[in-house]
Amino acid sequence: MDEIQEILEDFLVEAFELIEQLDQDLVELDTRPEDLKLLNSIFRVAHTIKGSSSFLSFDILTKLTHHMEDVLNKARKGELKLNEDIMDVVLESIDMMKTLLHCIRDNGNDTAIGMDLDDIITRLEAVSEGKEIPEGSEEVVKEEPKEIKEPEKEVSEADYAKMSDDEVEAEIERLLSEKKAEAKKKRAARESKAAKEPAKSAATPNATPTKSAPPAKKQATTLEQTIRVEVSRLDHLMNLIGELVLGKNRLLKIYDDVEERYEGEKFLEELNQVVSAISLVTTDLQIAVMKTRMLPIAKVFNKFPRMIRDLSRDLGKGIELQISGEETELDKSIVEEIGDPLVHIIRNSCDHGIEDGETREQWGKSKTGLIELKAYNEGNSIVIEITDDGKGLDADLLRSKAIEKGMISEQEADSMSDKEAFALIFRPAFSMAAKVTNVSGRGVGMDVVKTNIEKLNGIIEIDSEVGKGTSIKMKIPLTLAIIQALIVGAQEEYYAIPLASVSETVRISLDEIYTVEGRNVLRLRDEVLLLVRLSDIFGVKQVYEPGEYAYVVVIGLAEAKLGLIVDTFIGQEETVIKSMGDYLQGINGIAGATIRGDGGVTLIVDIASLMDMAKGLKVNIRESMQSKNKVKTKPEDYTILIVDDSKMDRTIMKKSIDPIGIKIIEATNGQEALTMLKSGEHDIDIMLIDIEMPRMDGYTLATEIRKYSRYKNLPLIAVTSRTSKADRLRGVESGMTEYITKPYSPEYLENVVRKNTKLIAE
Amino acid sequence: MADKLNQILQKQQQQIHQPDKADEDIIQLVGFIIGDEEYAIPILNIVEIIKPIEFTRVPSVPEYVLGVFNIRGSVIPLIDLRRKFNLTPMNNTGDTRYIVMKGEDNTAGFVIDRLTEAIRIKANRIDPAPDSVGGDKGMIYGIGKREDSMLTILKVESLLKRDF
Repeated sequence: MDEIQEILEDFLVEAFELIEQLDQDLVELDTRPEDLKLLNSIFRVAHTIKGSSSFLSFDILTKLTHHMEDVLNKARKGELKLNEDIMDVVLESIDMMKTLLHCIRDNGNDTAIGMDLDDIITRLEAVSEGKEIPEGSEEVVKEEPKEIKEPEKEVSEADYAKMSDDEVEAEIERLLSEKKAEAKKKRAARESKAAKEPAKSAATPNATPTKSAPPAKKQATTLEQTIRVEVSRLDHLMNLIGELVLGKNRLLKIYDDVEERYEGEKFLEELNQVVSAISLVTTDLQIAVMKTRMLPIAKVFNKFPRMIRDLSRDLGKGIELQISGEETELDKSIVEEIGDPLVHIIRNSCDHGIEDGETREQWGKSKTGLIELKAYNEGNSIVIEITDDGKGLDADLLRSKAIEKGMISEQEADSMSDKEAFALIFRPAFSMAAKVTNVSGRGVGMDVVKTNIEKLNGIIEIDSEVGKGTSIKMKIPLTLAIIQALIVGAQEEYYAIPLASVSETVRISLDEIYTVEGRNVLRLRDEVLLLVRLSDIFGVKQVYEPGEYAYVVVIGLAEAKLGLIVDTFIGQEETVIKSMGDYLQGINGIAGATIRGDGGVTLIVDIASLMDMAKGLKVNIRESMQSKNKVKTKPEDYTILIVDDSKMDRTIMKKSIDPIGIKIIEATNGQEALTMLKSGEHDIDIMLIDIEMPRMDGYTLATEIRKYSRYKNLPLIAVTSRTSKADRLRGVESGMTEYITKPYSPEYLENVVRKNTKLIAE
Repeated sequence: MADKLNQILQKQQQQIHQPDKADEDIIQLVGFIIGDEEYAIPILNIVEIIKPIEFTRVPSVPEYVLGVFNIRGSVIPLIDLRRKFNLTPMNNTGDTRYIVMKGEDNTAGFVIDRLTEAIRIKANRIDPAPDSVGGDKGMIYGIGKREDSMLTILKVESLLKRDF
């Protein structure tokens, strides 16, 4: 039983591979009907499947392939001239063959779906005899058996049902030996790597068909040495590489620190070499493992020529498909997801995009429509472009249709740019088709496109011009496991945004933020972006003093875009998504976490749920950012922190600055001051710092404070009795704004404070 | 030869079983303080105990989930037991520790005020949690009676269960 099962599995794998090849060949045959090589290869496929299926006693499949073979055999021998109608019948029977194979895969037999073959067989027979194709299932003209038993027919084509036991046995033996011979031949081909001429021709007519010379292209694929590996093993390998990448990041970070500390030391050179080598090898290793999971996109593209052919016949339009970049590779999991969206987009292009021949001629275009399918790499993403030269999308029509369906308000429609209007086609249940055909018009397809691309963190861009055509561009990350991310700071927290979703970063001034219906928007070139603060989405405490500029990360997912205000940009980093365990599974807006070079954890944002969360948010950014600025007009609004370990010194300073009317708080050492500053309890505007203090001195304190970007401009005034030039220099180095030496006059200190807080005495 | 082997094997079996029998009713726990109370958890649930390290805040979670931290390459949540037990939060002191506990399918770190000691207690000295605080949802496994004090033994599984 197990053996049979094994044979069956082999058969299925082989059959599906063959069929894939068959589809391609048949469509090619459409354009070059005279190509004998192609015909031979097609015939061989049909024959092989027939042989194997009869061996496994799949009678229905055998019967079908048998009749197909008849037609193909005649064509091969030049007795039959292939035309469109014949091709249609052949293609249809191949489709049925596929259905049967699927049935076998799912059920283990070919009878489960109870396929009725009479009709197709009648037509195949008719075709093979060069008759007109009967419509539907007429009475079967029983001339066929004679036809089959013609002497020129091969033994293998005999009706198995009518064989005696001995004959069946003989047949099995023949098939087995044929298989063996084939395997042997494959091996030989691999070893010699030489193109093979069909060695056996007239001598063994029985075996000839299966052994006719394969086309050159086919041969190239058989020459490739491959092993089948379980995907889970590759996944495991990928996870390990992920850990290694994190380790490498850590090593690089430590090297940077060491370099800073031991500048000029000899061992640094060696360390540098080792670190560079490891980082290089890790990167190579990562790419190599990634490549093992990569498949050429041809795997998906290959089914489209056939689809276009069928569609163009169904719709009665002439459509040509041009494919380029099919050798572009991407991750297996992505290849699996990308098929459906492409099918929907191409069907849409054929049905709604390309006009019929007459209309096209009126517009002065060539009679046949052209659909271009292009794939290429762009940075760490792959771009797939589908362009048609059809009638294009009419933005106004889309708007009015959307209003009619109650999807958007008229107001919204007015403020919509053309690009946004095009994006309407991705809304569920939105269809421009006047009537539902079996090709499209249900308003489901484009929604599927959007969902699948979203799943992959991809971006869709759509561009169209009325009368000229439409172009849909999908940008998809190459792999999902290790991602490039933009690290940003939102108040005190850091987040990683997948770089594939970032379309650009801009700096804007607060005046550029507009409020529409309680939402913040930004006009960026010809688009209007919804604007939210990352810190609002995640409810981070606002401690950071807003400046006059805001930094915006424009993120895109599928067709939607969003402007995300962050406080700082840290940089680009390679991140590995780690789950946070069951306990923190499925937190809104967070896709996972990653470990940074310093060993800390940074959360990776989930773009899709972030977009949802942004929609519900209503914070007036401009107001909240300005109100903070407005508050500080009177001296009482300002706070000064005096850091000195001597109580007397603090009192002198307090006395000096008292006339300003500014709020005064105190700390007795650097550590305490830093904690006070970081706690955000006081909104400190200026600091007076003594240099010599226990626990943390003034220099260290200033250096620590300057590490925080939000305190970059906080005035730090050193007040000290150290007067040497070297001390002053150190003060500047550590980030002090001013350097006052003791003793000082109270007026002088007062003036310095006034100057630095811009509170000039009236 | 075979007899000898059998004898040795039997001896080994006995050795394996004997201490088991002696230990059967002794449970090993680790005790710690939160607020004013002493609590304990089974030693076998503890992965490790570490000094406080930096953690990263996670949005939209209850207050007692402080965030996540990195422990040898895994990212695990950090839960403040003071907040979880509705006590006033406190800044870390020199005695503060993170106890990393592992349940059936979850691992998390818990912030405690200070450790006390490893405790061996006989199973018959542990009373089930009183009905009023117990039930299936309670965090208490039982109350351990010791010569001079009481010990609240916590249920690790329910500590590790997500309840938001």
